[in-house]
Amino acid sequence: MKRIRLERWSSQLLAARPGASPRAAPGAATPLCSPSYRQTPKELCLSRRRCQSTFAQPSDPIAEDEFLQSEPVDPAETVDPTENMSRFPPLDPTTAASARYPSPLPERALKSAKLAALHARLSLSEKIPLQTLARALVDSTADKNRQFNNTNLAFLGHTLINYHVSEYLMVRYPRLPMSIMYSAVAAYAGPDALHTLARQWGIETAAVPGGEVDPGLLQFATDKAPMVPTTFGSRRAEADYLDKFKWRRGINSRVVFDDDFGDVVQAAAPQDDAAARSADNNTALKPYGTPETRKIAETAHANAVRAVVGAVYAHCGREAVKAFVRSHVLSRQLDLSRLFAFKMPTRELSNLCAREEFEKPVARLLSETGRRSRTPVFVVGIYSGKDKLGEGAGPNLDAARWKAAMNALKAWYLYSPGEDVRVPSDMLVEDARPWEPAHIDIGEVI
Amino acid sequence: MTVVALKQISTARNGVGAFILQCKKMDFHYCDWAGSSKGMNGFIKSVLPRFAAAHPQIEFQVSPRPSKHPVIIGHYINGKKKTICVRNMEPLQVLKKAELLREASGEKLKRTTKPVTSSNPSVRGIWSPFHGEGLKV
Amino acid sequence: MEVQLQLSVRRAAAASRSCQSSTSLLSPRIPSRQQIRHQATSSRHKRALRVPPHPSFITSESTPKTDHIIFNPPSSEPSIFSTPFKFLPKNDPRRRANLPALFSSLAPAPTTNKLPPLLPFLPTPEQPKVHHLKPEDITEMRRLRAEDPVTNSVIALSNKFGCSKTFVMMCCHAPKEHQEKHRERLAGVRERWGPTRTKAREDRVRRKDMLLRGEL
Repeated sequence: MKRIRLERWSSQLLAARPGASPRAAPGAATPLCSPSYRQTPKELCLSRRRCQSTFAQPSDPIAEDEFLQSEPVDPAETVDPTENMSRFPPLDPTTAASARYPSPLPERALKSAKLAALHARLSLSEKIPLQTLARALVDSTADKNRQFNNTNLAFLGHTLINYHVSEYLMVRYPRLPMSIMYSAVAAYAGPDALHTLARQWGIETAAVPGGEVDPGLLQFATDKAPMVPTTFGSRRAEADYLDKFKWRRGINSRVVFDDDFGDVVQAAAPQDDAAARSADNNTALKPYGTPETRKIAETAHANAVRAVVGAVYAHCGREAVKAFVRSHVLSRQLDLSRLFAFKMPTRELSNLCAREEFEKPVARLLSETGRRSRTPVFVVGIYSGKDKLGEGAGPNLDAARWKAAMNALKAWYLYSPGEDVRVPSDMLVEDARPWEPAHIDIGEVI
Repeated sequence: MTVVALKQISTARNGVGAFILQCKKMDFHYCDWAGSSKGMNGFIKSVLPRFAAAHPQIEFQVSPRPSKHPVIIGHYINGKKKTICVRNMEPLQVLKKAELLREASGEKLKRTTKPVTSSNPSVRGIWSPFHGEGLKV
Repeated sequence: MEVQLQLSVRRAAAASRSCQSSTSLLSPRIPSRQQIRHQATSSRHKRALRVPPHPSFITSESTPKTDHIIFNPPSSEPSIFSTPFKFLPKNDPRRRANLPALFSSLAPAPTTNKLPPLLPFLPTPEQPKVHHLKPEDITEMRRLRAEDPVTNSVIALSNKFGCSKTFVMMCCHAPKEHQEKHRERLAGVRERWGPTRTKAREDRVRRKDMLLRGEL
């Protein structure tokens, strides 16, 4: 598509449109959406600015640069209301008022096409107002005020997602070792997983946060330290030296001290540090893509997803949020058997058999081919008494035996009582069937 | 601690739990003057309001593009966009094209040669010459 | 006579013309390389591909007339997501459902239940592991190793005490100097390796790591 030549037709259209068609509202760009969410457009504001800058100084690129670098400006102040009154339609007054604030005013949420589309795309209930959804998209780096950013909702959503995911995994796979459990919870509900989820919801980001941007865009600043919700765990005294000296963190101490994913709780970055970083260069326009900015963006995306879940809970309640987490987070696919790595599988398996009072595991050669060739294959099964516990194939007898032992251990750890197991939160429903105790394992093999 | 955990990220399966429509935005460009936009203008006047109301999950944008053929542009969640030129089409033909864009996933068109494409492992596993009873042919 | 001759000449000319036309018509068919499988081969191939159904699907007099389960296990590696019977917890319903199978395995026909052979390097029931060394033997072994690690090498000790080399290495450590010398010698050997052997050794380590991570 060729570039639209604004100067040629903008005057004709911007002035003439309002009466021309009932659908095409004033403006070069007219978003339409379902009647309940009529909006106006942030595009209107943007295109209008673009027009003005081209009209004012058609060949001067500095004007636009200044516009980009300056603080969010109030369009009402920069635009002379008497100028071109007949040619340009008046700006939306809420947009003008909103530009004074770090994030869009709540009433502008009702007019955002992107926000309404996101609301409908996630099939959110009518009970969740657009204003709450708009607030879920304002990161704490964009707006410090906790009454207007998503910190509280994200905290709520974080607890809910982690609760539902870990509850499901514990009941569905009762024998998972704790380290695998942490890894599995992070694979479903960790920041990386939620970041991809936000991308797959189609959440778009604003280049720079501000009051005048569309409320349907995710707003975060890359020059401030992001807020990572920490609901559980506390900061270790030796946290600063863990990376330096490669100190071991045993699983027990991880359960006590560390966060929901078994990672070290990091200290919140001091505010003056962040301010100093933003002061030394213009980091607001730092290119998106350095490792730090990418991390900040990922945290902001994850927080937006958590905040949406928090909003579902706040407006629709417990059952709705459970269904939401089930359908959006737990429906994702994860091959749990790929989370395991072993060090000494054969020894661990014989320890397991000794603990469970099974007969000693022995390796038996089930079949083989090409023993003297370049590519032999041995199939080895591990038997305890007459029962086969696992089998594996490998290019030599040792590899096949290790693989068989690993498969036997995975089969032990991935025992599941069934697909449709009941979780404890099912009991919170009224007239629920009486609870049958879930299988609780004595723990992993040490 | 002989079991070591590896890091993985779960992969999305759109439609298994929740379904997210992949088309997130549609642009309709028309021209007031040119004859090729006649059907598109009729579509915008008569069909688009109902189409937009039926699809609240898509953001619609109507904008003029003078002296050009009318086009529909679909923007998708994976960041791609698809453009269809609807010159000289009747409103209902334009609707067909809009529905085509709505139903697209945004991926490049690929030839499917297998009857089933699945990320789940096969129920009976991968055939191995070392297992099973074998069959005398 | 002349007339007859002329006629014959004309006929020959006509015949040659007709021949030309017929060859010109045929000529495009000759170079076509498309293979057409005729009945002679196709039926033979079809017959070869006609595989009889699995014996479990064939109904005979002995198969029950009512609905029944056909047991035709997959010819593939068993999935780790199907838990072995022994690993099921005591209260699992699958344990109860599998009771008849369990009893049948408890009292089996000896021919069908023959277990596959053990791996050759593992202790067999005929040659079980013997734990014959006493604590005194081990102290003796340690003393010998500390005294003269060159003559009392690991192999010599394992031969003398009738145990494995691993067991000798588990029991005793050589003096520091000897270890140091040994390490230097190994480093010298390693330096003489060419690129192919070095890479092969590195790949072997990497392959084991991949195996333990479940990537192979």
